[in-house]
Amino acid sequence: MGLVTLLQYLVNGAFVSSVYALMALGLTLIFGVMQIADFAQGALYMLGAYVSFYITNRAGLSYFLSLPAAMVGVALIAVLNHLAVYRPLRRAGGATSFVAALGILLILQNIALWVFGADYRLIRSPFGDGKAVVLGAVITHQQLFIVLVTAGLILAVWLFLQRTRPGKALRAMSQNRDAAALVGINPDRIAVMTFALAGALAGSAGALVSPLRAFDPHIGALAILKSFAIVIFGGMGSISGALLGALIVGLAETLTAAYVAAEYSDLVAFILMILVLFLRPQGLRGAAAP
Amino acid sequence: MKRLLLLAAAAAAPFVFPTIAQRHLLILIAINVILVASLDLLMGTAGLLSLGHAGFMGIGAYTSALLALHYRIPFLLALAAAALAGGLAGLFIGYPSLRLRHHYFVLVTFIFGIILTLLFTSLVGVTRGPMGLPGIPFATIGLPQVGAHTFNTFRSKVDYYYLVAGAAGGVLWLRGRLVRGRLGAALIAIREEEQLAMAVGIPTHRYKVLAFVISTAIAGAAGSLYAHYATFISPEVFTFVDSFNLFVMNMIGGAGTPAGPVVGPLLLTVVRDTLRNISPVAAEIAFGAFLIAAIAFLPTGLMGALRRSAGRGR
Repeated sequence: MGLVTLLQYLVNGAFVSSVYALMALGLTLIFGVMQIADFAQGALYMLGAYVSFYITNRAGLSYFLSLPAAMVGVALIAVLNHLAVYRPLRRAGGATSFVAALGILLILQNIALWVFGADYRLIRSPFGDGKAVVLGAVITHQQLFIVLVTAGLILAVWLFLQRTRPGKALRAMSQNRDAAALVGINPDRIAVMTFALAGALAGSAGALVSPLRAFDPHIGALAILKSFAIVIFGGMGSISGALLGALIVGLAETLTAAYVAAEYSDLVAFILMILVLFLRPQGLRGAAAP
Repeated sequence: MKRLLLLAAAAAAPFVFPTIAQRHLLILIAINVILVASLDLLMGTAGLLSLGHAGFMGIGAYTSALLALHYRIPFLLALAAAALAGGLAGLFIGYPSLRLRHHYFVLVTFIFGIILTLLFTSLVGVTRGPMGLPGIPFATIGLPQVGAHTFNTFRSKVDYYYLVAGAAGGVLWLRGRLVRGRLGAALIAIREEEQLAMAVGIPTHRYKVLAFVISTAIAGAAGSLYAHYATFISPEVFTFVDSFNLFVMNMIGGAGTPAGPVVGPLLLTVVRDTLRNISPVAAEIAFGAFLIAAIAFLPTGLMGALRRSAGRGR
């Protein structure tokens, strides 16, 4: 195994990590603000891929248009989930939000099966077979695009959280709900905003990866389970933890597939998560155990 | 009195519902009653939640099936081995994770369930992966002949129904005994105030591990009962969605109520099957909506709600 081969795997891993980062970021934001493990995000990721498919392959419009369309469309559905299900149930708390989230996942996944059919779909990449060679490792333009857009989106979210008033309000809610309400932050408005943000991120992940991986209405389930494992691995509610976790899991998965066996790569995220729970229950970057 | 009625209803069921499809459903309900009763041992007393029970059931099913297929182990021994395997897996995962805070423990069981499904799928050399294990022998027990029923091979659906219904009755009885005994008292104390329970000298960790191991051993045995009935198992039967279904059955039936572990599986198995026969896709959508409605309107489960309304009537 040469160094170039290893570099090639790391390049491949970077794009896997990007998708996880977008999903895990949304999940951890919702968990931080609402204390909900929103499994329905898996369905939102899947819907992002379908929005992109219909705009690019069916309507014949540009792939670059499908990305913002998927973000906006999926964000609307995320807000709808919140208003229709999570908000009315917010007093129930505990395991119930888990049940509700799985209920939504089942509903959306099967509506998709009904409307879109069970066939695998793949979007034509606007980059065709374009490739770049970096130090001997090949990266397709589509992969490069995914990594760059992800980096841009993460930067945008970071700036939003650090620099803008609503972003600061979101962080305040996530740190101390009651104190935030006391200083006049409207928790309902912040909740809607958080769901919209997470929905846009999940939708973008679906649209970004759809030219590289064939998808059907079931892709969301495993994706959300892994993202969830990543969020726990990184520390629930921690943004830097989610990003670090996504990076580690994406690379570890690719390396496992390359050096151990492809069929074990799906296990990596879960095993890392179990290890972290036993050794450091609050996660890599989590504050003291909540 | 109520118990006698239930017993009579269970005994008469295969003759009230004589078609093959109905009897098949009865057997599945009985297996689900065993699983939900084992879950309720945790949830109804200590408030501990396991979201990986289908995985433990899978361990039992694969253990039992592989022993019977490769070594021709008789059914009852394979059943015991399945319970042992389930219990050992429960000990392995429960011992370290029950030291964690409650919601971390729930997560560990959930993720462990997923790991198990992935292992069943990827250990192709042992489990044949997604292709599944076919040709598992039927359950046979050497028993004297009673009329037309030999009980030697539980090939007939009625015979097998009585076997699993008997097992379900046994598990329900065991649950009642444990809940009313020392273990139950300790678990309830842990649920109400764990620090205090520890302070008065209850070895809380030991009791929690014990309850979890009993629960997962029962789940393993239920897996064996399933494997030797279906004669075919594959990873698809033991997914996190199935674990989740069991939890929902427990919740809808009413956790901690005596009749909950019977009512929940009965209701949900019938509802899901009826819906699936109409349209599989619509069934999943309706089931999702049903879940959301159930937690909105019946947070303490059906039996909990009935009990409350009965209390109000008095």
